[in-house]
Amino acid sequence: MKIYIYQVFERFWHWMQVLLIFALAITGLEIHGTFEIFGYRTAVWIHDTSAWSFLILIVFAIFWHFTTGEWRQYKPTMKLVKEQIEYYITGIFRGAEHPTNKLVYNKFNPLQRFTYLGLKILVIPVMGISGLAYMYLNYPNQGFQLAGLDIVAYIHTAGAYFLIVFVIIHVYLTTTGHKPLSAIIAMITGWEEVDEKGARAMLADEMEVALKITKARLRTNGDKSELLDEALAETEEKLGVKKEEKFRDVVANSGAGYFRINRDGIYEEVNKAWACLYKFETPEDVIGKHYSLSRTEEEFEELEITFKKVLEGETIPHGEVTRVCQDGSIGHHTVTMTPVMHNKEIVGVEGFILDTTARLLAEKELLENKIRLEQILAERDGK
Amino acid sequence: MKKTIYIVLIMLFPQSFLFASTSGEGETDDQPGIKLVNYVKKADRIDRKIVDHSTFTVLQQEFQRPQDVTLACLSCHTERHTEIMSNNHWTWDRYEKLDGRGEVSVGKKNILNNFCIGTSSNRETCTRCHIGYGWKDETFDFSEKENVDCLVCHDLSGIYKKEPGNAGYPFEGINLNVVAQSVGSPERANCGICHYWGGGGNNVKHGDLDMAMNDCSTEIDVHMGTNGEDMSCIECHITENHNITGKLYALSSENKNRVTCEQCHTDAPHLDAVLNKHGYRIACQTCHIPVYAKANSTKMWWDWSTAGRLDEDGNPIHESDADGNHNYLSIKGNFVWDQNVKPEYFWFNGLADHYLITDTITEIPVQMNTLDGAYSDKGANCKTDGCSKIWPVKVHRGKQPYDVINKRIVQVKTFAKNKGEGAYWKDFNWDESIQAGMDYVGLPYSGEYGFIETEMYWPLNHQVSPVSKSLTCVDCHTNSTEGRLAMLTDFYLPGRDSNAWIDNIGLILIILSFIGVVVHGALRVIKRKNCLHD
Repeated sequence: MKIYIYQVFERFWHWMQVLLIFALAITGLEIHGTFEIFGYRTAVWIHDTSAWSFLILIVFAIFWHFTTGEWRQYKPTMKLVKEQIEYYITGIFRGAEHPTNKLVYNKFNPLQRFTYLGLKILVIPVMGISGLAYMYLNYPNQGFQLAGLDIVAYIHTAGAYFLIVFVIIHVYLTTTGHKPLSAIIAMITGWEEVDEKGARAMLADEMEVALKITKARLRTNGDKSELLDEALAETEEKLGVKKEEKFRDVVANSGAGYFRINRDGIYEEVNKAWACLYKFETPEDVIGKHYSLSRTEEEFEELEITFKKVLEGETIPHGEVTRVCQDGSIGHHTVTMTPVMHNKEIVGVEGFILDTTARLLAEKELLENKIRLEQILAERDGK
Repeated sequence: MKKTIYIVLIMLFPQSFLFASTSGEGETDDQPGIKLVNYVKKADRIDRKIVDHSTFTVLQQEFQRPQDVTLACLSCHTERHTEIMSNNHWTWDRYEKLDGRGEVSVGKKNILNNFCIGTSSNRETCTRCHIGYGWKDETFDFSEKENVDCLVCHDLSGIYKKEPGNAGYPFEGINLNVVAQSVGSPERANCGICHYWGGGGNNVKHGDLDMAMNDCSTEIDVHMGTNGEDMSCIECHITENHNITGKLYALSSENKNRVTCEQCHTDAPHLDAVLNKHGYRIACQTCHIPVYAKANSTKMWWDWSTAGRLDEDGNPIHESDADGNHNYLSIKGNFVWDQNVKPEYFWFNGLADHYLITDTITEIPVQMNTLDGAYSDKGANCKTDGCSKIWPVKVHRGKQPYDVINKRIVQVKTFAKNKGEGAYWKDFNWDESIQAGMDYVGLPYSGEYGFIETEMYWPLNHQVSPVSKSLTCVDCHTNSTEGRLAMLTDFYLPGRDSNAWIDNIGLILIILSFIGVVVHGALRVIKRKNCLHD
């Protein structure tokens, strides 16, 4: 199963960094006197230009991280650090499961968090500052200047070696994903292939966020549906999401599936989350199609009735339905539908769906555990 | 996709400006776009004769003595002799402040060098390069205006020559009428007759001033090349009221009255900002005079200690090397000459110290003229109005006589017309010659001499090469021992210097991480079945 994990800017940012770090490393070593490739003057030009490009890229990246809230991905945590280290040292050879899963809202394992945060707040700033000092504080006769380049050059060189070591290990660790190339492909296409457990974890993660977003929206609209609220509370509890936890202000990739259908039953708009729940690659694959395509026959008839009622002006919490996904698999969600008004006429139906597959899975698991527990108890009593 | 293109464009847009501002430097030899101020190009120069001295009756008289020519000159140019008489070319007495030692005379009259050693007691021949007539001993009257030799600088006929050993008088029989009527602004041959031939031969001293430069290509000297801008000496050594700008640190100490490249080329002559920044700490000459003594050899080594070897008949010997340069003269000792020499490089801030005849020797080799400067002489530490820059220098090394007991470089009487006057070049007796020299300057001589190594520094300014021959980055930014700045080690130079600890640890970490991932990866492949869970 594939999940969409890296956005366009993120991928652009990453590959620009690849390009620039390679350019800086090669020309930097040439300037250092390690070898000759471009010629010294060209090497200096490439190095300076790359350095400035990097600084511009950093400005964009900082802006992006704060506007999207993605900076939270780098908040360090000690949770699962030990497990992650153990996995790389021993578990990976035994074929053990990854102790952490890559999720849209939690992309990095704890070691990655520490490493990337270290790069962002220590190594890159040190390289940037020492680089600027190298360029600008050596020559002038006026104002602040360095006594000599040596210390700055040593720091800059040491940082460069550190970054080269990072790149070697980083590139290698990309092969430890679901398949050797899945992490690299994900960084190219945005879609990462994950195993079933990973997919389930991702779903739960998306659900959690979706719940919060939906809840927040409902509150502001004052358009509360009792049934939905109940479903939310129930799912929340099952997923172990604490109610008092602060809502994440993530707007992009809304976890609640949104859809709009016109009077003829044709999808006019769906969001990414909707497409994701139905396992379509993009929303465009759905738009223009009839809503019957994703229903079992008996469900379709039932839904037809609700649909007509809504077209007459009712808002209906339809409750739990079964969906047929793109790949034929079955999922469960709750759906609420309201009429779409245009010039005082009802022109279609819109609503949102909230996945309950996880809830059902959780219930199932709970049940299984219960049965197993009973079995164990029975066996013990039998003795 | 569109979004990506926009982002790429936004990223690259500022770079295009950067690129435009740093590339495209006009690095062709003809340099059509070269930045120049205070200079009229050859093509735009108007060479019009505004006065014809041959029409002046005062110059048509029969001149008996060269002094009569001077008087004729002064009959029109009535006060010019006062300008001349305050000029070092006349006084040979240059009072300059030595850093921390007060004001002393470092003129040609007093200073010692490691070529012919000194002019004291040898004036009669040395003053062949004095702009006067009759300075053979200390009785010479420096206030007598008829003693000024106008012709040596202003003769354009080319037939005026001063006689060796004759206190600055010209050869007998020169037609002084022709000479006097030819006068005009000095040409390069006028300056060159002394400045090329200092030290007793062509290009002996400077290394970058050679008679070949009277008519040379731009390959030899990009400014003076007769196939190029064809600039004469005074185009740069701008002279007003006989104050000739420019000086060399063989005889100077202070940072004043200098001729600079910047006076025409400005302090930001390159289109590349990085190159212009190099100019903060590197003299133009360093990159633009990659080699000197391009047309003829220059003297690099002069060993007086071997002088005095005579043939069986007791006559002095001349021996020459393969290039036809003397490598042994009985009167002077051994020489080493070299052509197309790579300069040595030193920090220099425009101040120089000098070994004075009254100094005692404190270091070997004895430094005849120390160029002041260091990497750390910059910013707030600057001793002069600019910080020290890296300069190309000809270093002339040699061995010369010194007083072993008094620990002093000694003045030697080398010249006399006749034997028996104590002159080394006639009698080959060191003790007598040193005694005579030291008596002349009024200093004691212990009677015990030896030979000591000395070094003299000649910053280079001429024989600027075309841009295509200039030094490039890696001439200095290299860790090769052949690097131009391999010896100038008081600062961190990118490409040359590194910290062995950091480099070694860095390399070890890279190798270890590489081995690490290879081993880790190999183990995963070996246990492939386990590790690739689908």
